[in-house]
Amino acid sequence: METHTSQTVTRRVLVDLDRCIECGSCAAACSVSHAQVPAIHFARAGVALLPVVCRQCKAAPCVDTCPAEAMVCDDDGVVRRRLFRCVGCGSCVRACPFGVIPTRLSGTPVQSRSPDRLSGHQAAKCDLCHDRTAAGNGAEPRCVAACPSGALMFLDERTEEPLGAELLGGRTAGEHPFKRR
Amino acid sequence: MVSSERHEQTSRCTLCPAGCELGLARRGPEIWRTEYPLMGGRGLCPRGGALGELLCHRSRIVAPGLRRDGALHLAVMSSAVGAIVDAAGEGLTVLLDGNLPAEQIAAAAGWQDRWAQLKVCLVLPPAEEQLLLGVEASGVDYLSSADLASCDGFVIVGDAFAANPMCSRGVFDRRRAEPRTPIVVIDPAVGSAAKFASHRVAVAPGMELAALASVAASADVATGAVLSGEPAPSEAGAAIAQCRRLGVILAAEHGRGAAWRQIGYLAGRLAAAKGGGVAVQTTGANALAAVRLGVRYGTVCLAEAMANDSDAKLVIGCDLAGMLGMLNLRVLGAAAALPNATTAGATIVLPVAMPGEYAGTYLLDGGSRVWVRPVMPPPAGVPTADDLIGALALAAGVRPEPVERRDSDLDRVDVPAPPPVEPPRPPRGPMLLLGRRADQAGEGALTAHAAWQAAVQPVPELRIAPADAEAAGIENFSIVTVRAANRAVKAAVKMTPELPPGVMVLPEGFPQARALLGARVDDSIGAVAASPAAVEVSA
Repeated sequence: METHTSQTVTRRVLVDLDRCIECGSCAAACSVSHAQVPAIHFARAGVALLPVVCRQCKAAPCVDTCPAEAMVCDDDGVVRRRLFRCVGCGSCVRACPFGVIPTRLSGTPVQSRSPDRLSGHQAAKCDLCHDRTAAGNGAEPRCVAACPSGALMFLDERTEEPLGAELLGGRTAGEHPFKRR
Repeated sequence: MVSSERHEQTSRCTLCPAGCELGLARRGPEIWRTEYPLMGGRGLCPRGGALGELLCHRSRIVAPGLRRDGALHLAVMSSAVGAIVDAAGEGLTVLLDGNLPAEQIAAAAGWQDRWAQLKVCLVLPPAEEQLLLGVEASGVDYLSSADLASCDGFVIVGDAFAANPMCSRGVFDRRRAEPRTPIVVIDPAVGSAAKFASHRVAVAPGMELAALASVAASADVATGAVLSGEPAPSEAGAAIAQCRRLGVILAAEHGRGAAWRQIGYLAGRLAAAKGGGVAVQTTGANALAAVRLGVRYGTVCLAEAMANDSDAKLVIGCDLAGMLGMLNLRVLGAAAALPNATTAGATIVLPVAMPGEYAGTYLLDGGSRVWVRPVMPPPAGVPTADDLIGALALAAGVRPEPVERRDSDLDRVDVPAPPPVEPPRPPRGPMLLLGRRADQAGEGALTAHAAWQAAVQPVPELRIAPADAEAAGIENFSIVTVRAANRAVKAAVKMTPELPPGVMVLPEGFPQARALLGARVDDSIGAVAASPAAVEVSA
């Protein structure tokens, strides 16, 4: 498999910042279906704790930097980690300009938190739930399907207006940066 | 080698009233996990996400055990049932999970008429039971999560978004259509719902009723029926005064005081006066049905059951010890799907079916009757709760008779309005509250076995205001000891700037956190209650 293709994904996971209630449903859904190594992690911004999801870059630094060719951009443009190639070196974690490849889960390093599991020494990487979405039947990644508040959306940026992006009501707790009234 | 996943039965999660759709996918022999709807999904929180893993958990109790010399020894079901009947002697009180399907509750309660020694108590979190009784007395309509989108204002008591994350969607849909929609939040623990408030009511621990009364009075709703005295005016009340369809969303966390019945009644009156309704977010799916069936079938209340020392106690399907924080509770028998604090103190441990394994009628979102089918059958030899009680009755020589359950059994019950109470005095000094989390179900006995829950929060998280942390000399993320009521628990510090000084919050999904509050029978209301406790924190 080539590590790069000319394709780019057409649908991405978008986050409506003002709908996220920090319930963790997205990460839990990712965890139960990805050998308990979730590829979603959370970033604190003021009082808000927001899910951070892979952007599926077209020229992905994580693919370029991976010494084991475990990170690949597949025919659909999805940047994926090949399970049996990943050695857990952390190169992709450092290369990602958006910091979306998680290194720690609740204080425990992801790459070494479960040595008794197959996934014990692997980086967690979002594959847009390729087993569901690759068929092109409109299926959503599990994080989107699990989101109870409607904060996560799986949209085609070229044809669909991200719903609500211009209508954010704003949280009112403290001086957080996402208050947009 | 099993290499591909296979989708099996789909059903609904019954760990809260939302009743979210879920499925199971096989990941190898006897290994299952939750699967999510492929498209158009309306969400499934981490509790439902854990259900698939829990159904085939390696710690599952699949055979009875008799405790001798401190250790459990395997037994056959007939001898375990016989041992319970023999030990019960004069009387047996069955403390039955109230979040079972209506058919199971009715069948279990029906044995009371034929077996004189049997008393059945439907166990619900005490605060939630009182809250539902208050709402029933108010006569207000129940709203579903979808109904909330049509409301033009909201009053939220407690962290309803953590209790049922689905209810947030209706609130946000409405806010997107009308950004100036008032969202009034009364939550001394400043949970996730409070972060989205347009009006956050400053409220001290245990003072929720007074705060709600202030809001109601400012919206021209009389409060004298539930609270003595004249409430102070509230800016938040003025914000909802013009609402024509008010949605009141209620979540009753454990250990917030004893006035939940009054809160439910007043919330109902407020919503009815403003043309709206109430959405009660309970920890199980069928709490409303349990309240109604309990009244109709004359089951004993939890306070009465706990005060009765002469009867032997059998706890079925719930973690009574964990729920009340009574970690040293000793009972004759405990039937559970997975080990918990109650089974640890039981002489006889029995297996029983768990959510996802039984079919039946639930009063889900908005009180609508929904038939829920199982996602998989229970393991061989594992009975449902009503089957277990039936087996006990037969062993006691009671003749079975068909129980006639009417559809009207699930109709609203006629309960009296609660009496007015005196406004409590604001607490002094740091107080400990328990807060709900979206990833933990109830007292956490079930979800504690799930891998995700164990990974994200191996020890309880103590939310604390920075000023309090500085005064106590503790740092963010450090492990501290929290002491209250002569008990102590280790917790990880999470500094929370939005939390007012003097309030510390532990998650209610840890039995050891509940133990700090000390549940008791409150004579003034005749029910079990727990209140915020004075707390000390040290590094």
